[in-house]
Amino acid sequence: MKLYKKEGNIIQILSFPDETVEKGDYLLIQDNYVRKALIVQVIDVQFANIPGIFEELLRSLPDGGEQVKGEDFDPLEIAPHITYIQDARLLRCKIRATMENEILNPNSSWLPSRSKSTIKKMSIPTLLKLAKVDGKLPIILGGTKDSMLLTIDASSLDGRLNIITGKKETGKSHLSKLLMLNLVGYGATVVVFDLNGEYINLGVTSDGKRNGYYNKIHVLTPSKNFKVALKQLHLRVLLNILVHALHLPGTSTREFRHMWQSLKERDNLTLHELGEVIRNWRCNNHVRDALFSRYYSLVNSGFFTDNVAEAMLLEERLFRAKKEGGAIVINLRNTSSMDRQIVVEYVLGKLVELLTNWKLKAVFLFAEEAHIYLRETYWDDIITRMRHFGIFTTFITNQPNTIRENIYRQADNIFLLNFTNEHDLEAVSRAARADAETVKSIAQDLPPRHCLVLGKAVKDFPMVVKIKALDIKTMGETRLFFKDMN
Amino acid sequence: MQTVQIGSQPITLKRKTEHTVVAAVDTSSMKIGETPKGMLITVRGACVWKQRRQYRYLRFGPFIFHVTDENKRDVYNALRGGFSVSPYEHNNNSSPSLLQMPTRIASFLERWQHTMLSKTVTDGLILFDGSLTSGVADTSTQQMKKILDEARKRGNIVLAFSKMTNLRSNGYLITDVLLGHKPPYLLQIAGLKPKPPILLLGDVYVARFTKGNYSFRLDIDKEVPITCQIEAVEKLLGNDLFSQSYPETLRLAHIFCTFTANEVIAMQRFIVHKFDLKIINRPDMHKLLFGPFGKGENAS
Ligand SMILES: Nc1ncnc2c1ncn2[C@@H]1O[C@H](COP(=O)(O)OP(=O)(O)OP(=O)(O)O)[C@@H](O)[C@H]1O
Ligand SMILES: [Mg+2]
Repeated sequence: MKLYKKEGNIIQILSFPDETVEKGDYLLIQDNYVRKALIVQVIDVQFANIPGIFEELLRSLPDGGEQVKGEDFDPLEIAPHITYIQDARLLRCKIRATMENEILNPNSSWLPSRSKSTIKKMSIPTLLKLAKVDGKLPIILGGTKDSMLLTIDASSLDGRLNIITGKKETGKSHLSKLLMLNLVGYGATVVVFDLNGEYINLGVTSDGKRNGYYNKIHVLTPSKNFKVALKQLHLRVLLNILVHALHLPGTSTREFRHMWQSLKERDNLTLHELGEVIRNWRCNNHVRDALFSRYYSLVNSGFFTDNVAEAMLLEERLFRAKKEGGAIVINLRNTSSMDRQIVVEYVLGKLVELLTNWKLKAVFLFAEEAHIYLRETYWDDIITRMRHFGIFTTFITNQPNTIRENIYRQADNIFLLNFTNEHDLEAVSRAARADAETVKSIAQDLPPRHCLVLGKAVKDFPMVVKIKALDIKTMGETRLFFKDMN
Repeated sequence: MQTVQIGSQPITLKRKTEHTVVAAVDTSSMKIGETPKGMLITVRGACVWKQRRQYRYLRFGPFIFHVTDENKRDVYNALRGGFSVSPYEHNNNSSPSLLQMPTRIASFLERWQHTMLSKTVTDGLILFDGSLTSGVADTSTQQMKKILDEARKRGNIVLAFSKMTNLRSNGYLITDVLLGHKPPYLLQIAGLKPKPPILLLGDVYVARFTKGNYSFRLDIDKEVPITCQIEAVEKLLGNDLFSQSYPETLRLAHIFCTFTANEVIAMQRFIVHKFDLKIINRPDMHKLLFGPFGKGENAS
């Protein structure tokens, strides 16, 4: 490999076919005279722009486009040299750091010598060590291309905002499961909004046996084993549900507050009594109708109960998770969209409440396709207020443009799986931790289950990893129309 | 510059599709660099033939020579021996200048390939690049005659195409004279009297085979009766593809031997790595872009 050009923080390197370098690889450009080295990452591999190659290709095609067969008498054996040149590559590399005395700094303003520098591949473990991507709480994400392990530290997710995104079926949920199980393993409290009910079997191995997480995975299915009693509910949380999930207008909301107060004073906060109060309250009929329709939505959701004993599970499981680590999986699979919003409002309200009172220390929240159930105002909340309280969110989505731009800007870690769509990549490129060129060039070529990790977890050295497998029971078989026919 | 007469009536041609082998030869040479002592020359030759609708090629080279003022005579004589070229008639004792070496070496290879084809093809059409003029530079009349004789013995007819010509008629280059006549046709050229020792071994025509303003000088072995010459051209029309009046077989031969910038770089690398020769003056790669047709009569 030879240093060819430097423009800004892009270095171009000429490489020959016997030097197998791929996108995502790290190279070390060592200039021994100044005792410094540049660490660069290959973000694109192109054909070297050899003069006349286009003419050469054109000329090698006869009329009709068929290859002409023949023999070469080539006593000097020049032909291999010719193909060697033909296959020369130009590596576009992004400067990631300068290394001086084993210390890395982001400076890229110096220029290594073109004639004297040596260029060689840098293995991921070497880089990880130099970059000090290590710690006491390792999470093995999987293998790198040179069959080394990529390990990040759980603390790099702590207090952080993360995004897992990629095309459909590329392995986002799988990675999310891997991360949350590792967090649980280190004793963290995790809450998952499980839209498709695919996290419910995390405690079971693929052959149906219980695994080490069995007692730490707590599946809460709304209106089944997960209900709330009005008595436990803060008015604020219920109002959030009424206003945001059920769109109750302002005047009716005011009336509702009064009703709630009167019930509370009489210690009569039951569904039945609430219905009675609405029926008998002295108010405008429009208001009454509005309240009734919301009341029936609450009742019909099946999520509310008057039996307090039936409604202790969330808190109880959260406390258990706090003690020994655990994941509360909120199974939203068969929940209608309105009920989903009710449940999410409730859970988030509850979390804030418990965190505010320091009944919980911190919670890692994994939210699959959050735009489906997260109301507008929560997005900002999540990165400001909730983060402050100790809710550390990981968004998982295959539609990157459903995540707000400010979330991208604030994201600390981005786990990017394959995307081919330019618009999707455009959205991800807005992340402060990503540079558009790296994202676009590498993500488009990622095979399924391969992930480009960006951000603090890798000390801003973007790395590609093949996410390792998990021995867990996956969601029931996909329902297919043609399955039994062949 | 020579002034000649163009036949007043074009010879209209009909395509004759009876199967005939078409074979073509071309060579190419160039200087790929200079060393402190001399120059590096590379040559390559290609034969292409069309048989039953398929083109095939046989390529020789690239051969690389390091020619210096000291060794040029030896190189030259060795090649002459190697390609069994008979000593040529004049300037017998001197070897060419360094600058002439590339084309000289190439023409050794070219004549050798001509000889080879003339001895291996039967009842075919053999296409040369250039003209059938002999007695210039390395084209010895004796050798050229031998090639044509050999070819004829096997029922082959040699046709030489050249793009560049300096023959003029009424002040116009013969290839620029366009008649309102529908191609394909030939125009016979008369009155061509080369200065001795240069000899003309062919009858000369202007050939225009396709629409568009392209025509070539075409020399056909003059020992072949005119009717057979014309029939040969008609068979060529029926057996080869043409673009811009130029036969595809010959175009391919040209393509297969010319060097591309990429190949030149590869050879320079090869020399530097293998022989540790220091190349001081490299040719400009951007000038290495060739036109689609052969070198023409002046170059070979
Ligand atoms: N690294 C991996 N090793 C083994 N299996 C994997 C891996 N990643 C994903 N899978 C499997 O591939 C399938 C798709 O993965 P997953 O459900 O995680 O994709 P997804 O990106 O979340 O898809 P969707 O867009 O539908 O949500 C699943 O069956 C999963 O078990
Ligand atoms: Mg998924």
